[in-house]
Amino acid sequence: MTTTDGLTSPRPATAGASRRRGRPGAPAVAFVALMVVLVPIAVTTDRFLTLDNARAILASTALVGIAAIGATLVMIAGSAVSLAASQTATVVAMVFLATLDRGLVVATLLAVLCGVVVTAVQGFAVGYWEANPIVLTIAAGFAIGGGSVWFSGGTPVNAASGDYDVLNATPLGLPLAVYVLLLLAVLAEAVLRRTTAGRRMYLVGENRAAARAAGLPVGRVTVVAWTFSGLCLAISGVFLAAFNTSATTNLGGTLTLDAIAAVLVGGTAIAGGKGSALRTLGGALLISVIADVLLLRGYSTGAQILVKGVLVLAVVVLVHLRGPRGSR
Amino acid sequence: MSAPTAEPAPGSEPLVTVEALARGFAGVPAVRRVSFTVGAGEIHALCGHNGAGKSTVVKMLSGQLAPDAGRILLDGKPVALRNRQAAQRLGVALVDQELSVVPALTVLENMQLGDIDAGFFKRRRAALRRCREVLDDMGLDRVRPDQPVAALSMGERQLVEIAKALSQRARVVILDEPTATLSEAESRRVFAAVRRVAARGCAVVFVSHRLSEVLELCDTVTVLRDGRDVATRPAAGLTVDGLIVTMLGEAPHRLEATRRPDPDLTHALRIGGLHVPGRLDGFTLTARAGRIYALAGQLGSGASDVLRALAGLHPQATGSVELRDRSVPFRDPVGAARAGIAFVSNDRKGEGLFLGKSVAGNLVATRLDRLGAGGLVGAGRERRTARSLAGLAGLPADRLADPVLALSGGNQQKVFVGRSLGRDDVHVLLLDEPTRGVDIGGRAAIHRLLRDAADAGLVVVFASTELEELLELGDVILTMRDGRVVSTYDGGANGAALMRDMTEGKDAA
Repeated sequence: MTTTDGLTSPRPATAGASRRRGRPGAPAVAFVALMVVLVPIAVTTDRFLTLDNARAILASTALVGIAAIGATLVMIAGSAVSLAASQTATVVAMVFLATLDRGLVVATLLAVLCGVVVTAVQGFAVGYWEANPIVLTIAAGFAIGGGSVWFSGGTPVNAASGDYDVLNATPLGLPLAVYVLLLLAVLAEAVLRRTTAGRRMYLVGENRAAARAAGLPVGRVTVVAWTFSGLCLAISGVFLAAFNTSATTNLGGTLTLDAIAAVLVGGTAIAGGKGSALRTLGGALLISVIADVLLLRGYSTGAQILVKGVLVLAVVVLVHLRGPRGSR
Repeated sequence: MSAPTAEPAPGSEPLVTVEALARGFAGVPAVRRVSFTVGAGEIHALCGHNGAGKSTVVKMLSGQLAPDAGRILLDGKPVALRNRQAAQRLGVALVDQELSVVPALTVLENMQLGDIDAGFFKRRRAALRRCREVLDDMGLDRVRPDQPVAALSMGERQLVEIAKALSQRARVVILDEPTATLSEAESRRVFAAVRRVAARGCAVVFVSHRLSEVLELCDTVTVLRDGRDVATRPAAGLTVDGLIVTMLGEAPHRLEATRRPDPDLTHALRIGGLHVPGRLDGFTLTARAGRIYALAGQLGSGASDVLRALAGLHPQATGSVELRDRSVPFRDPVGAARAGIAFVSNDRKGEGLFLGKSVAGNLVATRLDRLGAGGLVGAGRERRTARSLAGLAGLPADRLADPVLALSGGNQQKVFVGRSLGRDDVHVLLLDEPTRGVDIGGRAAIHRLLRDAADAGLVVVFASTELEELLELGDVILTMRDGRVVSTYDGGANGAALMRDMTEGKDAA
């Protein structure tokens, strides 16, 4: 007799089989239902089906999308979310604008370095010291936000030269940031699927204790995910600076929550272990399309935010809480 | 021994009657057919080694599990114990293996906790007086009702737990391994309390691994084996050795090594003075490649701590470990894995498999860095590796894409073990309870895998509480108790000797 009481799970085979049939159904049904509602409304909206509007949607997706791609890796690797994204992007933007007098390349490198280091340090604390990412990034957000006030003296930081304009180029009528977003999404997806580091992110996120017991480098994997996220945030911050040409301490705005919303709508598991960069891209686009439709139909900004919130809520309830381990 | 013999008066009904109880889990029977009776004032022991069905019987008696068949009678009347509250209402109290007293609350508060008779507005003075009486009854005159439980010793907490059961006016008291974590002196006080409880006319069911204490304390012993009651006898005529023979049944068949142990010690795992504060006290072993080393020990014996320390998972481990004449770092699971040590935890779900991933994904999880160059994972190579590992582990190839969660316990364990097979950089395989929650067929297959791994030149070390497994698989068996090795058997072990070592230590031999 090898069975010890209570250790045998009740009929794992049948439970798994029914889950396999049932679970992917719910998100798919939800997606189809959303499309059934959204598509007729969208196509009947005046000026929705125009090239200009498509460009506008893509352009408005770019900055949030880039940050969201990075946040996807962090979430897949089991570090939940970073709540310091807005502040980080703001500091990066300030560093970029203030150092533009040394040329575009130097300013970009310095700004990206700043974003990567600040974020990687947080990843180190989460990966090696098991810091709680939520608490840690709230604290880090305050510190970084304080840093931006100290750096700027509370007044807007203006561009030290006009070099930033290169970044506002629109080849083929689309902002440069859109191309960068697509590139990063494809790159992140390749990293996740076909590199050792990416695949280990899924494992660490799925079961951290098992990854540790198996001798996987949990700390290093976490730092790599956060470093990539820092890179994405920095790129987003640089474009934000170039677009605004000056940076105040609240330049980052709602970037933190917008990025998280895109990742969640894309179906990445909040507890880690599941997700995809391309789906995050889809999530970001979906949010933009809905905001665009509401804008074209004359609804206020408040209505747009409300609908975005309801959408995220619906996804969280339908997709995440129904998953076998989503409610952890 | 000194316990009053309390044979129920002829003609009177026994207080507790258990009739042909049966219960299975997912189709695997844990209890097949168990019957016994306990009279008022009787202390009745349930004995049997791991997996014999003791805990399941206790759970059914205390209302935590419903029987599939059979019935339970109190005072000759059949009762339905739907849950613990229902059992408590009928006067059946359980003192659990794990303490359920809350350290932050006072003794009095703990006694009122979960007491169905405690009103919402507690009459404090009456409750205090009652609590005092019960404590005195238990010989706990130094313990005050308003003291937080955290201030008490483990033995005193166990006694408070028993006192709590009594304060709920129990007539049947079930004690499940009450002395497992107690010192000798603390155990004495628990025994004295149990005798007092019985003397007041309660029926006591006592479950313990420690056979000498069973014989000392109890009036009657029922031995369980493979889910059946194989004997019920008065304790007076029994010896520890006789009891062990009854518990064991026939001797199991061994799975013999097909190759001679490596005479050359250059591939050996040398463990010197391994120490984990409070858990393991100086474990030393030179384990040769090609042999299977079995660590035999109950929970808390240190057997599983040896494995965890070797895998780098014990943050306080000290000592020296050398593998193939290279030092293995401590407290560093990544370093241990790099040195060639693979660990299969006893917690397959929590610390083993990646449950949301496919069978293939789990099989290649620890060797992603070997599936391509420059940090890339080659898709073709990944598929081929997963397929060949499935073959090696005896898993059906058509299930590679299935979620590992959908597999049976046995197949899940094959995935867990298979993940470390067939790689030239793994030299040591450590397994904690290698066949826990695995059916009979899966168990034989896993044993075969371990034997094959040893034959392929690995050092295999496993810890188990199961006698058959230890005897079937271990080339060298080390029995452990209280963080130390009791004996080392290089051949010639038998079940009785192992069990005596594991439960009584060397002195009892």
